[in-house]
Amino acid sequence: MSSVPVERAPAPPGEVRERAERGESPLGRLTGSPLVRLIVRRVLVAIPLLLAISVLVFVLLEAMPGDPARNQAGMDATEEEVEAVRKSMGLDRPAHERYLSWLFGALTGDLGRSSVSGLPVSQLLAERMPVTFELVFLAFVISLGIALPVAMLAARKPGGVFDRIVMVGSMTLLAVPNYVLALLLVIVFAVTLRMLPSIGFTPIEVGLWPNLQSVILPTLALAIPLGCFYARFLRGDLVEQMNSADYVDTARAKGLGPWRILWQHAFRNSSFGLLTIVGLNVGALVGGTVIIEQIFAMPGLGQLMLQGVGARDTAVVQICVFIFAAVAVFANLFVDVMYAVLDPRIRYGGR
Amino acid sequence: MTTVDAFPSDTVTRTDGEPPVVLRVDDLRVTFTRGGREIHAVNGLSYTVRRGRMLAIIGESGSGKSVSVRALMGLLPPSAVVEGSALLGDEQLVGRTDRAMRAIRGRDVSMVFQDPARSLNPTMSVGAQIVEAVRAHRPLPKREAAARAVELLKLVRLSAPERRFHEYPHQLSGGMRQRVMIAIALAADPKVLIADEATTALDVTTQAQIMELLVDLQERLGTAIIMISHDLGLAASYADEVLVMYAGRAVEHAPTSTLFGNVRMPYTAALLGAIPQLTTPSHARLTVIGGHPPDLGALPEGCAFRERCPRATERCIERPPLEEHEPAHAYACWHPVDQRAGDVLGPLTETGDVKEEAR
Amino acid sequence: MAVADTTTRALLSPTIGVERSIRWARIRKRLVIGVPAAIVVLLFAACFVGPYVLPLPAPIGGDVLNSSRPPGTPGHPLGTDVNGNDVLSRLLHGGQASLIVAVAVNAIGLIVGGLIGALSAYLGGKADTIIMRALDVLIAFPSLVLTIAIAQVLGPSLPNTILALSAFSIPGVARVARSSTLRVTSMPFVQAAALGGSPWWRTLLFHIAPNVLPQLLNFAMLGMGIVIVTEGALSFLGLGIPAPAPSWGNMIYEGQQSLSATPLLVLWPSLALLLAVLSFNLLGENVRDEMSGR
Repeated sequence: MSSVPVERAPAPPGEVRERAERGESPLGRLTGSPLVRLIVRRVLVAIPLLLAISVLVFVLLEAMPGDPARNQAGMDATEEEVEAVRKSMGLDRPAHERYLSWLFGALTGDLGRSSVSGLPVSQLLAERMPVTFELVFLAFVISLGIALPVAMLAARKPGGVFDRIVMVGSMTLLAVPNYVLALLLVIVFAVTLRMLPSIGFTPIEVGLWPNLQSVILPTLALAIPLGCFYARFLRGDLVEQMNSADYVDTARAKGLGPWRILWQHAFRNSSFGLLTIVGLNVGALVGGTVIIEQIFAMPGLGQLMLQGVGARDTAVVQICVFIFAAVAVFANLFVDVMYAVLDPRIRYGGR
Repeated sequence: MTTVDAFPSDTVTRTDGEPPVVLRVDDLRVTFTRGGREIHAVNGLSYTVRRGRMLAIIGESGSGKSVSVRALMGLLPPSAVVEGSALLGDEQLVGRTDRAMRAIRGRDVSMVFQDPARSLNPTMSVGAQIVEAVRAHRPLPKREAAARAVELLKLVRLSAPERRFHEYPHQLSGGMRQRVMIAIALAADPKVLIADEATTALDVTTQAQIMELLVDLQERLGTAIIMISHDLGLAASYADEVLVMYAGRAVEHAPTSTLFGNVRMPYTAALLGAIPQLTTPSHARLTVIGGHPPDLGALPEGCAFRERCPRATERCIERPPLEEHEPAHAYACWHPVDQRAGDVLGPLTETGDVKEEAR
Repeated sequence: MAVADTTTRALLSPTIGVERSIRWARIRKRLVIGVPAAIVVLLFAACFVGPYVLPLPAPIGGDVLNSSRPPGTPGHPLGTDVNGNDVLSRLLHGGQASLIVAVAVNAIGLIVGGLIGALSAYLGGKADTIIMRALDVLIAFPSLVLTIAIAQVLGPSLPNTILALSAFSIPGVARVARSSTLRVTSMPFVQAAALGGSPWWRTLLFHIAPNVLPQLLNFAMLGMGIVIVTEGALSFLGLGIPAPAPSWGNMIYEGQQSLSATPLLVLWPSLALLLAVLSFNLLGENVRDEMSGR
């Protein structure tokens, strides 16, 4: 999914700063109880949000057309047979009962069964989550791994050749939707050059190299647009600081070299903004797996969700959508916490 | 006592007992090109700075004072053209590459900036920033550098220096931050320290404390200080020598007591006259100098102050040179103020009466 | 720059360059807004006017016997697809669908989202919190996931696609509108207007709206690109514009089916997508820069 819309984030969340201003003790260590209290508080806020999300998902699925009982019973089933199936699936109970029993089941580990395959949902999840996780993790690492050095090099000589190439190139690549990029990559690497497989996933057990081969194209499709976005943001922030931040002046007056200034002074301050947008885009990254897995026929969570959507497999869709949303929520939570940990202004409250 | 290296005694003391010259600036010129126009920010500035002395460079916004000292440190954008000469000992500062300047910055000449809140990196501890300055020119192991940093914190009279070392800028007050900036500036024992409006952002009490600190450090370390300011009062209280700048040029230059005892330039007189006095009646209008500072891209012919000066005549179309008309007192004016003859300070009429109100 | 006054600060800013770069900057500015704007206009013209002006066959109902003709075949400038339909015709009609969706979704998002956001800011207090929490729930979903869920509920069709996409566009706009409104209403001139006896609707219309609008418009511009891409994704997955009606998304999907044989069928709609998104992105970014006086 194109991740363009996320605006650059300014200061840390107001609530966190508030707490700092109220005067935290100037301890030099991480384990100050205010930090733990902050984490607990954010988690507590996240829980009702997650519950609300699960309700919304449930409501949406209720509204889906089609009758899962009928689908399961088959085209030629009689009314009694359909009713019997409905009863066995528990679909004759009122909605809120079904939701609560689902919720209870989810919390105790019983996520129901897929109406398509009959397999327990938890088993499906266990099979598919590692695939999606590998994809997301690699894409995350690669996107940052590209963005950081590229942005630093570009910011070293703003307006220079490399910088201009980076700016134009990243702008263009950003505008390419990840599914289009995926297909382009397939055209180049799988069809024309025949270097990499166009579909399928090879588990690590078979071999590390075959696994990487099967995973590299979908990972790039996800990582490249994000990496461009991060690179543009970071480069802009770094250049702005090098041009106008007072502490960069001080650093220059000390006689420091440009790379040291870029890294130790500019980047350290830019990292907060970068952290925020990375966190905000985790949702986009994870959501992108839905379409990428479809294109590359990867047996991950995204593909599971799509199949479930097509087959009206309520139990499966419910949990998949919920997981995607929950990951985004936790990513944001993580970013908030990291802010508090990394920003000295919050960690050691101010005057 | 600190373990700061003793100032290297290299230069010869003049036979008149004056301390040696550490910086000699000669006809310094800085030009920017903007929108097709040439902006002459600094237009032929010359002065010398001696060991252990404080030179105050006074001027309005846009007078070129900040630009001139940044030129000394090579902290101007690449589009700036710097000409003239600035000799630090034997080293010529004008025309050096950026890489060559890096060796000088911090080690021989250092700078303290105006806003200590923004001049320190908020993500690094105060100690780390001082250590960085120390190690920029001397490859000390971390522990030794840290020890030196703590010494520097003691030198600038910060309480509990070991604790301060680990603190972050936002945990300190403005005055304390500025002391840290001074510590950073002194880290490599520079010969010259430039204070660019270093006390402007501070309240009056803290201002005095910082100035006292600077004077004390001067005596102890022998560092020469160039103080940039628009505050004449500050110059009068602390500086040894005062240089008044206008439109990129020096217009009056003398030791402090000489200058304030016998102001010559109408501009300086007007500046002094604009300072509200305790004896000024409470509803009196504040006097201002009429007009605006000149556009540095389109300087008028002759004396740059001509259009705002009530003493200007046709003669002033020819630019008066900066000359030492009296011993140790240089000024650039055809019609200098003469306090002894009864001229009152403030925006003056031709007859010497103080104007009731300025335009 | 650690300097006192603004005149000196301006001089020391490294954006001062040689003469040439000043002129070049002005040209560049015009290019960077003018070119994407021209492309957008061209796109709209091509897609909405083109099919009725150019002698093109219909986008559907082609002859299978005519399938997979290469570009340059007489009567088919870009060739035909697997079903025998003219590619250019499908491209332009598909563009109609994609652009209609994009404009509609953004318009709805701006109006509805803007109203909700502004209202929430205006009401403040509990109502504001409730509204924002509700929006937070919607925003928490990765956009594609949410739209897939809704699109599946509604079923694939053009109006349903618009609805599904609006669901993820509105909360985003509402958030921006709310923060923008809060920022503006706290500004002295608004309070002055209120104190001066201006009725609330007047303040809203003449003081608040003009200052909130630029940010919203910029957000909407960027939103165009995102909506086009997401609609493409939906159609690609079969949940958006239903085949055989063309949309850039489902054309890409069909192209994928014969990727090795006819990669061009993927490339044409991809190029169209890229062009559209790039132009909207450039416009959005640079109009904002203009407005903020960069």
